[in-house]
Amino acid sequence: MPDTSGSQTAQRFLLGLRLAALLITVVILLSLSLPNLIRSLPHYRPAWVQVTAFFVVSMVCVVEGVLALRRRGWGPLRWVALAATIAAYAACYTSLPEHGAITLADWAFGNIGWVGVILLVDRRLWELIAFLALNETITVTALVLSGGTDRTTLLSAAALSINTIGFPLAGAVAATALRSIARAAEDAAHQAEQVRLAEAIAEGLHERRRQRFANIYNTTIPLLHGLASRSLDPHDDSVQRRCAIEAARMRRLFAEIDVVPNPLVHELRHCADVADRKGILVELDSRGHWPDPPLEIRRALTEAPLAALATARSWARVTVVGTDELLSVSVIADCGQIELPTIAADGAQIKTIIDHDILWVETQWPTNRSQQSSSTTTL
Amino acid sequence: MADKPITAVIIDDHAVVTAGVRYWCATAEPPIELVDAGARLANVWTGPGGDADVVIFDLQLNGEQQEFRELRRLVDSGRRIVVYTQDAHNATAVRCVELGALAYVTKREGPEHLVAAVRAAAKGFAYTPPSLSGALVADEDPNRPRLAPQEIAALRAWFASSSKRLAAEMLGISVKTVDTYIERVRIRYASVGRPAPTKSDLVARALEDKLITLSELNNTT
Repeated sequence: MPDTSGSQTAQRFLLGLRLAALLITVVILLSLSLPNLIRSLPHYRPAWVQVTAFFVVSMVCVVEGVLALRRRGWGPLRWVALAATIAAYAACYTSLPEHGAITLADWAFGNIGWVGVILLVDRRLWELIAFLALNETITVTALVLSGGTDRTTLLSAAALSINTIGFPLAGAVAATALRSIARAAEDAAHQAEQVRLAEAIAEGLHERRRQRFANIYNTTIPLLHGLASRSLDPHDDSVQRRCAIEAARMRRLFAEIDVVPNPLVHELRHCADVADRKGILVELDSRGHWPDPPLEIRRALTEAPLAALATARSWARVTVVGTDELLSVSVIADCGQIELPTIAADGAQIKTIIDHDILWVETQWPTNRSQQSSSTTTL
Repeated sequence: MADKPITAVIIDDHAVVTAGVRYWCATAEPPIELVDAGARLANVWTGPGGDADVVIFDLQLNGEQQEFRELRRLVDSGRRIVVYTQDAHNATAVRCVELGALAYVTKREGPEHLVAAVRAAAKGFAYTPPSLSGALVADEDPNRPRLAPQEIAALRAWFASSSKRLAAEMLGISVKTVDTYIERVRIRYASVGRPAPTKSDLVARALEDKLITLSELNNTT
């Protein structure tokens, strides 16, 4: 469909315009054209041409009514309807009584312009102007051919044409103006939407930052306070471990916002990187597939590896195994006995063994789809 | 027979790998005799390489292509194969086991696994290093044999810890039981898919030793 803006506002405007033009045409057709046609019926030569023409114009109105209510355009049918209308209009002049042009018997003269508006309201303005000019030419030609070249007739034709051309044209100009207003309104609405979206994003971002700050508030801030007030000794082994764990925790926080295909392994890799930088030999091996766990489950799964990796002395092995039933994250490292932070997570299980200075922590999370769906439905 | 040292032939296109493996074999206790086939497959079939007990087989001989066909030919002729490769993909490991390789050792794994694999293969036993254990536990092939929960737990623990002792401790069972579970997994794999002499030997001996019963094997698929 040409020249129809895809925007909803413009579509609503267009529908209103179509219904208004249809209403005007139908009112003219029934209250003026039809009585005039009936009254002049005995004088036409022959009358069936006029009746057929009236039928053509009526059909255009009916089809337009159906199309408008279905929110559909004319499509290629438009040009058929236009041709039929113009042909009917021209045919009317061949069967008028003598000197019948622009008299009451010329019922089509009064409403042809509005039929043009119906057919061309969603098109460019010049197409309607061309349509009106063509019809005016047909009228004037008929007038001249029937010998109405006297001054009075021509002046009255000009005066009447102001009605038949002017009003439809004014309607179409208004429609064009409304369409461009609608488009501007649509643009403005779109911009406002963009602004709202940007605000929502900023708000969400701020909320997440606040959340992240809260995440480190309980553990990192006291450590920094302790170091600043010298109540904690940086040479102390346990303080160094706490620092290492906090550093790894912050690394994980930064990694959590990355959009990556496998966030769990991505976050573990960041935790491993902390150990790697200290010269610790880290093996990270993942096998199988699993559904991406939500953030709190990922934290529960990475918490023990994070602490073990941050405090390992020379080596660590991190493995992830995903099967149909279970996602298991395991870390084994020579970090000795460390206090493992526990994060309560739905369904996650932690198993730990210590063998001299070797610590092995395995966190398991059931990935069984049927189990999960049943637990979510009972909530 | 106990005095006769194990012989192995290595086929690998990287001289440094051969040199490393030769050192591991020489320092193993008891030592393993190693024949270098270079990168020539003919040396595995004839000469001293042809008589070796075990073939240490580089899957990516000469570039990218994986030599599954050659592996199958060697297995079908009754050779005992330890695949030794840098390819750590699950599917490759499972495919080699399915073809009848007795062990699949990745080059990231150390001498303890390669030497143990060669020793086991020389006797016709399967060996499952941690990486292969991980590959088997995560095997998603619909035709894979069905494993018992304890067997899956044993594979996972061995993969995670690289230590049978720790795996046993974590599972609250003995090291021997961990070994049994892992061995049973290999027998289940040996009893499905295409037939191969090494695979049928594994299954026959397992049934003889009552490591697994016939009804358990039938439940495998």
